[in-house]
Amino acid sequence: MRQYEMVVIIHPGLDEDAVNQALDKIKLWISNAGGNISSQEIWGKRRLAYPIQKQSEGLYYLLNLEMNPASNMELERNLRILEPVMRYSIIAKV
Amino acid sequence: MVGKNHSIEGEVEEQGQPMQRRYVVRPKFCQFCSDKNLIIDYKISDTLRKFISEDGRIRPRRQTGTCARHQRILAREIKRARHLALLPFSGGTWEEITH
Repeated sequence: MRQYEMVVIIHPGLDEDAVNQALDKIKLWISNAGGNISSQEIWGKRRLAYPIQKQSEGLYYLLNLEMNPASNMELERNLRILEPVMRYSIIAKV
Repeated sequence: MVGKNHSIEGEVEEQGQPMQRRYVVRPKFCQFCSDKNLIIDYKISDTLRKFISEDGRIRPRRQTGTCARHQRILAREIKRARHLALLPFSGGTWEEITH
């Protein structure tokens, strides 16, 4: 198990239900892979420094999680496919 | 006959002068070494903002005085922040581009 820090930027045009649905999906992937989320931070709507998918804002969510390094690849692949996620980053903590 | 003296004034070019290098006082200490509470993290983009130029480029060590170790960490965190659109990649602010 390893500590990771994950930030996802979700499309700002979505309604609350769709955002929560996407987040639940991400959390389910993590728990299915044997990881667990230790804490969650909601940064909320923030201005982007440059446009992503023609959007000037994004919804930022930070997750501190613990998972096997082997399941990282699968999680990344899933995130890339998930439509509401504009950008993500998974960083291993030192 | 009124004598007129058309003297060509102004436009005296100052090209012959040698280029003078301006002396800029540079910080001689690393801000992160002297202040241990100042952490370099991609999430804290306000701290990183001091270390990028106006057009978004990472400022060199010779300007900021950062030590080699911290400059390495700084560069990494700035790049992480850029990926998450917390800092710009380059160019001016993009409002100028879109509007």
